[in-house]
Amino acid sequence: MIQEFCDWLSKTNVSVAFQSATWFVPTVQTVHIISIAILLTSVYVMSFRLMGVTRGGQPLAVLIAKSTPWVWITLCVLLGTGILLTITEPARELLNWVFRVKMLLVVALAAILLVVQSRMRRSPEYWTESPARRLAARAIGIAAVIIGAGIVTAGRWIAYV
Amino acid sequence: MPLEQALARLQDLGLPTQIRESDWLFPTIETVHVFAVVLVVGTIMTVDLRLLGFANKERPYSQVAAEMLPWTWTAFAIAALAGMLMFSSKALTYYGDIPFRLKMICLLLAGINMVMFHWLGTRHLDTWDRGRPPRAAKFAGGASLLLWTTIVAAGRWIGFTT
Repeated sequence: MIQEFCDWLSKTNVSVAFQSATWFVPTVQTVHIISIAILLTSVYVMSFRLMGVTRGGQPLAVLIAKSTPWVWITLCVLLGTGILLTITEPARELLNWVFRVKMLLVVALAAILLVVQSRMRRSPEYWTESPARRLAARAIGIAAVIIGAGIVTAGRWIAYV
Repeated sequence: MPLEQALARLQDLGLPTQIRESDWLFPTIETVHVFAVVLVVGTIMTVDLRLLGFANKERPYSQVAAEMLPWTWTAFAIAALAGMLMFSSKALTYYGDIPFRLKMICLLLAGINMVMFHWLGTRHLDTWDRGRPPRAAKFAGGASLLLWTTIVAAGRWIGFTT
């Protein structure tokens, strides 16, 4: 069924137009990569603070509040450019198990960001007020760093699997 | 041409040949390269956006730069090493590739821009560290943003022209 959908999508006027413009895929990929750069840097700055690897500078609550719009705007741009790339080459993405792993990792990262941000809005001390919370913050930070690296890795391997 | 002979000899060495002939070595090195580049660009853009007044306006420039630039350098060293390994596997092909040449020129320009900014642009840093940077510093930030975007774009194009 997915195969049929890919066949149909790749023959639509939109997909054919994207495929025939040789500049289209690399241009969209460039926007995609720049957005990943902003997203991953924001996530890593937050994660290293949650883990306690970096200290000082602005308070964690301020840092997270300021990165929130950047994180969600870049996630939207990534979704949009990702959809454009999928329309251009549906089978390359939708029939690829690495692509599916990448999507699961993206959902996991978005969930982590939602939890961290919403708890922080409730109380600026949320992630530091007890040893258990600090431990949780550390675990969440490590998970976000690994998931972020996994998303980039999966993204590149879609082209090879 | 002696340079082309040297590149031919380089890509015939053991490790470059292994990278070229293996199924997994090139994509693995490329993944490390992309991961490192993403962090270089993200951290440098944070500094550029501070110079241009689009982010971290309320924080001293020196603090933003001190937080970001060690990560930039670490990631850059990794990206450069992985990049050289990829280059060595098909040195002649990359050498003749226009996007590759454009990428190297932009890297050089980004380096010059950075050195000029650190020598000239930060001379009166104490007068604007907490406020709006002077025009020259803004120009350096804008140039850096533009150059790194071109570096990413050219890098992506290499994959479609080699």
